[in-house]
Amino acid sequence: MADTHTMKTPEHSLKNSGLNLRKRPNARLGLTEILLIGVVVVYAVVLLCGPIGAIAWNALNSGFRTVFVQLTSADARSALQLTLILAGSATFINTVFGIVVALVLERQNFWGRCFLNGLVDLPFAVSPVIAGLMVVLLFGRNGWFTPLLEQLGLRIVFAIPGMVLVTTFVSLPFVVREVMLVLAQVGTSQEQAARTMGASEWQIFWRITLPSIRWGLLYGISLTCARAIGEFGAVLVVSGGIIRSTESATLYIFRSMDDRNFQGAYSMSLVLVMISIGILSFMQVLKKRVERRS
Amino acid sequence: MSHRNAFAKLNLFSAQALNAEFAQRVNRLVVVAAIVLTGVASCTNSKPSTNKVILTLAAYTAPREAYGTGIIPAFQQYWKDKTGQDVEVRESYQGSGAQARAIISGFEADVAALSMETDIDKIAAAGLITHNWRARPSGGMVSNSIVVIAVREGNPKQIHDWADLTRPGLNILTPDPQTSGGAQWNINAIYGAALRGCAGVARDDPNAATQFLRDVFRNVSVMDKGARESITNFEKGVGDVAITYESEVLVGRQEGQRYDYIVPRSTILIENPVAVVDAYADKHGVRQIADAFVNFLWNEEAQRAFAHYGFRSLDQRLAEKLKSSYPSVQDLWTIEFLGGWNEVTKDIYGPQGVYTRMFAELHQK
Amino acid sequence: MNISITQSNGSPSRGRLSVRAIAILYLFGMILLPLIAIARTGFSAGLAGFWAELSNPLAAAALKLTVLSAVLITLINAFVGTMTAYVLVRYDFPGKALLDALADACFAIPTLVTGVMLVALLGPQTIIGTWLSGHGLQITFAKPAILLALLFVTYPFVIRSVQPVLLELSFDQEEAAHTIGASKWSAFRSVVLPTLAPAILTGCLLSFARALGEFGSIVVVAGNIPMRTLTAPVYVFGQIESENIRGASAVSLVLLSLSFSLMIAVDLLQGKPKN
Repeated sequence: MADTHTMKTPEHSLKNSGLNLRKRPNARLGLTEILLIGVVVVYAVVLLCGPIGAIAWNALNSGFRTVFVQLTSADARSALQLTLILAGSATFINTVFGIVVALVLERQNFWGRCFLNGLVDLPFAVSPVIAGLMVVLLFGRNGWFTPLLEQLGLRIVFAIPGMVLVTTFVSLPFVVREVMLVLAQVGTSQEQAARTMGASEWQIFWRITLPSIRWGLLYGISLTCARAIGEFGAVLVVSGGIIRSTESATLYIFRSMDDRNFQGAYSMSLVLVMISIGILSFMQVLKKRVERRS
Repeated sequence: MSHRNAFAKLNLFSAQALNAEFAQRVNRLVVVAAIVLTGVASCTNSKPSTNKVILTLAAYTAPREAYGTGIIPAFQQYWKDKTGQDVEVRESYQGSGAQARAIISGFEADVAALSMETDIDKIAAAGLITHNWRARPSGGMVSNSIVVIAVREGNPKQIHDWADLTRPGLNILTPDPQTSGGAQWNINAIYGAALRGCAGVARDDPNAATQFLRDVFRNVSVMDKGARESITNFEKGVGDVAITYESEVLVGRQEGQRYDYIVPRSTILIENPVAVVDAYADKHGVRQIADAFVNFLWNEEAQRAFAHYGFRSLDQRLAEKLKSSYPSVQDLWTIEFLGGWNEVTKDIYGPQGVYTRMFAELHQK
Repeated sequence: MNISITQSNGSPSRGRLSVRAIAILYLFGMILLPLIAIARTGFSAGLAGFWAELSNPLAAAALKLTVLSAVLITLINAFVGTMTAYVLVRYDFPGKALLDALADACFAIPTLVTGVMLVALLGPQTIIGTWLSGHGLQITFAKPAILLALLFVTYPFVIRSVQPVLLELSFDQEEAAHTIGASKWSAFRSVVLPTLAPAILTGCLLSFARALGEFGSIVVVAGNIPMRTLTAPVYVFGQIESENIRGASAVSLVLLSLSFSLMIAVDLLQGKPKN
């Protein structure tokens, strides 16, 4: 029964939340059941709601005005802008290459396919600081590629390209895995049919394959985006934290804690939490559309 | 299988009808991506427009306010008045050692304002500073402070001098000397004071002094990356005592934090250097303005800003004027007592150094 | 499903080959190459050098702390995660949708923000924090903070692994067992649990792998005291900052190998990928 990538990552399984929950038969709620529910709910409230509530409380405690002032400061605006650039670039790169990789891994068969498939999982297994270390090793002062880049006048570490690189790395697997899953489910029958009717490979891709994977793809894109926005460890290693230049939103929060600018830290934290939850809600909407259409 | 079927069913929908919608979506994505990439391209290696110059300052953690709120705005005004040019100063603050390493690893700072001479010398050794930075006023030093002991309001633990730090059960904060310049000043102060007989151990006895250092470090609970992180941790309620720059305590109190500090009977004078990083300043074409910035630091305006944010002034007149704001130190000595930074780097922090061996032994237990 | 599109001589078309080449180059460049770089750097002083870095007391303590914490929170997650999944699938109660959404939220929130939130809630200058330290309990800047942070970020893993399997299950058998006299727990244990076991295990492995690498939340909230609350990823960070690239690479390799083996184990648990 084990399906190839059914539960490969919890991110896949995130899809399952909300789905069909109403259609289960309701068990009777006796004492044991209530206790069980109670334990689960209390755990969740204490562990999860506490911190989330604390941030909202601390940020909004001094009023919306303070939050607004903090977030419209030059540093904060620059940090948010950089985060959006990083997330946008990483998402774009991972979407394009993710689709390519997914197609190759799912639709083609060749020696070494298993190995490549395994490689895709590596960014999940890597601590973000290790991702940063990788980029430093390749592009830092004594980096493998540094002499070449110096010739070309390109700066990678302590500059935005390095941050884009690590953000792309840590958010790499999502689109690949989601698209592979959908490709596996959809099958090749439509593509085969089109091929016998004389369509070219590109036409098949653009008109049949791409539309068929779009929900999975969008889901993968949302996950990629959420991950990229929240990236911290890797960009901390690789960016130098130059204020208004290579300081992303997460780095801004980190520095604000040091600067005793707690209002700034909490306000920006609240913004990031809201953006993440926004992306999640968008994913929930996608799920509803899937539900409705079936 | 229900949810998987749902998914499969949806995909077998008429591809045509949804195709147009999807094509639109993809088009939008491509447009957004194009904008984003242009944004990225324009942000990297940005060349300043003709009437605006960008100067990058790499500093250690303690003088954040002094530079950020005091000196940089003053310099911007000064430069604008003098040349009509707008200067944007991009600042980065991290532990002195970490900052030096970042510069050597490719962080293209035009000016380095660090905590200790050795960090500037490291950058010079890497070939990035080619002029004699010590040839400037005060031997290249721009600010002074002293090592003090921060305690909770009212000094509940009754700490009066270095000797009290070895009390069992005391929780001490000091940064990590691997990344923080302040940490090294702290350790030098403790070791030096012990050698000078002001820590309750025998005078001029390196073994006794090392033992004293070990007894103090037995009580160290958190070692942050920089002096600033260390004091903010203390402010958050961690630890009983923090060994830190006097300037950090004064700035903290300015910001409304409430704690006291003890000036030990014997402590070290902290002197902080600044230098233009020739390689990068020339590369960015901002040599002139970098030189002007560094020279500006010895102006009265800048020295006053340093003083306002807790540092002791180099300027004699200013120091006289502000004497009452700063407690006097009975026995104030400099790094020369320990043989100068070159000796200290080897004897105390080298692989066989006093601190290195002490720390290893302490944590082997 | 893996019908390759062949030319008349039986080999894949040029189009497919070039796409394959792009995919291979991309993965090699983005993933394999950095991995090789770390391996080479970690072993740049040979096996002896590698071992020396690992036997550094701080490194060893950091690795031990990381692994032990990961084990502990994985065990907790196994229980709580399964219970939560069961409760979400089986019963209807007020706030169910919110609980479900919270699990997703944990995943989406940046880890640094998690750490900041924990300090904002339990730090030394908060109401809860002062109450706790008044009673001699230290959470922030001590080991419990590490556990809390890890529990927060790994909350959804077991839940989301187990939920789909539970959704597929019909509960008739379990109810039947209960009606003929088995207690609810033994009905659950003999009927449902065996089916869930692989899913629980998968969730645990993922949770463990995630916990090994956690950085953002821990660096803010744990205090990073060497030998006491310094975890391996934070140690690696410190080594990078101190230019001990070899030490950083050595410890990274250990962490990488551990996590990566876990991912492979997950792969095997779910059936081999098509060959």
